[in-house]
Amino acid sequence: MEKDFAQLNYYEILDIEPNATALEIRGAYNTALQMYQADSLVSYSFFSQEERSRILGLLEKAYFTLINETQREKYDHELTEMGIISIKEKGSAFKRDPVNIFDINRQKDNSAMLKNYNAELKMKVSENQRINEILSRPDISGADLKTIRNELGVAIEKIHQETKIRLDYLNYIEEDEAKKLPAAVFLKGFVKAYLRSLYIEPADEISARYMSGLTRKN
Amino acid sequence: MVHIWPIGGGKGGSGKSFLASSMGRLLAKSGKKTLLIDLDLGAANLHTMVNVPYPEKCFSDFVINKIKVLEDTVLETPFPNLFLISGAHDNLDIANLPYDKKKKALKAIAKLNYEYILLDLGAGTAFNTLDFFLASRNGIFITTPEPTSIENVYRLIRAIYLRRIRHYFTAADFKALEKKVKQFLDTDSFNKPEHIVSVVKKEYPEKYELIKKDFHSFQFKLILNQLHKQDNPALGGQICKIIKKHLGFSVDFAGNIAYDEHVHDAICQRLCFLDRYPHTRAANDLRELNRKMSSSFGEQLLINYL
Repeated sequence: MEKDFAQLNYYEILDIEPNATALEIRGAYNTALQMYQADSLVSYSFFSQEERSRILGLLEKAYFTLINETQREKYDHELTEMGIISIKEKGSAFKRDPVNIFDINRQKDNSAMLKNYNAELKMKVSENQRINEILSRPDISGADLKTIRNELGVAIEKIHQETKIRLDYLNYIEEDEAKKLPAAVFLKGFVKAYLRSLYIEPADEISARYMSGLTRKN
Repeated sequence: MVHIWPIGGGKGGSGKSFLASSMGRLLAKSGKKTLLIDLDLGAANLHTMVNVPYPEKCFSDFVINKIKVLEDTVLETPFPNLFLISGAHDNLDIANLPYDKKKKALKAIAKLNYEYILLDLGAGTAFNTLDFFLASRNGIFITTPEPTSIENVYRLIRAIYLRRIRHYFTAADFKALEKKVKQFLDTDSFNKPEHIVSVVKKEYPEKYELIKKDFHSFQFKLILNQLHKQDNPALGGQICKIIKKHLGFSVDFAGNIAYDEHVHDAICQRLCFLDRYPHTRAANDLRELNRKMSSSFGEQLLINYL
């Protein structure tokens, strides 16, 4: 319905911006290969044999043109002549130079870190005052664990999934139902696993505090 | 306003009925009045999935005029808010539903008073399946990450594409178009609707504009079912990308459903999977999907070709 694949320009074929860096071009070529290769699951049966080899040929041509700086310049020039890309689009490439790793003024790259769920959780733990306050207490109770979990916004089912601890045990621990709790050897391990799944360290020490608090109460 | 979600997948065993029953269950649980219709004509088993083992009425009663109003074939299920039109005792020749009966059924479905209607369609690319799928713009494709299943879902997508183009032509015009396609391109190209469209663009520009506008208004979704741990989770996104790039219309990737042995157990016990194993990965995936989909489906545009 839209343009035929063969009529796309090399940037469109590889799904990248006209100011893409060499690294991005290489990455895009790899992704495209994964999609169009003969043994790929994604495009299985979508193309006939000739279509596939034609597409792979185009991909290769696009890649080798763009990865070679002199050829890319020539190709860009052609595209600008035809009015398909503007010089402005190309121009912003200057800002995308690699950053000097020794540059002390460099901004911390937060975006990549936040993508990582675990790192995010760890950060939440260290930044949350309420959690730090609870962790500094001499006694830690099941209710405290629940507060910490709620502060972090983690569902109890998620802990259940990660630690494989039975959901009812997790609930008993959080509700401090002393009579229904498992034997102490198991309990200590459970609490440790619970803490580790929330990235709260030192799990050994905190679970020991939980256990001592429990024995004192009974 | 009623939301109609047809669920199709091309290949048998890809999880159409499972998805329909699970989604229906979740929608009903959130207080939406939901109806499941088993349109897998000739191979119906949605009633087993929602635990109505002996349905006393079914869809074909309406088709053969034994029951005059479609609303009267609706059965209650053990779950509140969830209703079913079963296909269990359909006549054995129901699979070949004539066009006028199908039209009548579609019109009746559109008039039903429910918040959500889920159509569980059969495997394959029979005209019945295609027309029921096109009853709504919110069709859902489901496939598993296996070549066999992916092959069939691509076939289904192309068949629906072609069927939709066909709706814009009279029989005679379509014959003429067919001839032209064969003339301009090689013989195989009639199986590729994207090539036909290029001919339509040249020969019938005003129809091309209509078709283009029409396809932009579709909001198809794709769900990958039975994703094993070792499978590539980005597969669904890549499939949608290929469809967008080479067929030229957009299918949104809605999400993955993890492979789970428990599904088999739940079906064998004839229990609702979500109730029996609520804390498995597959159940989480289903809830996540339901949340995403019920918020993202916009305006419902219905059966406009009848």
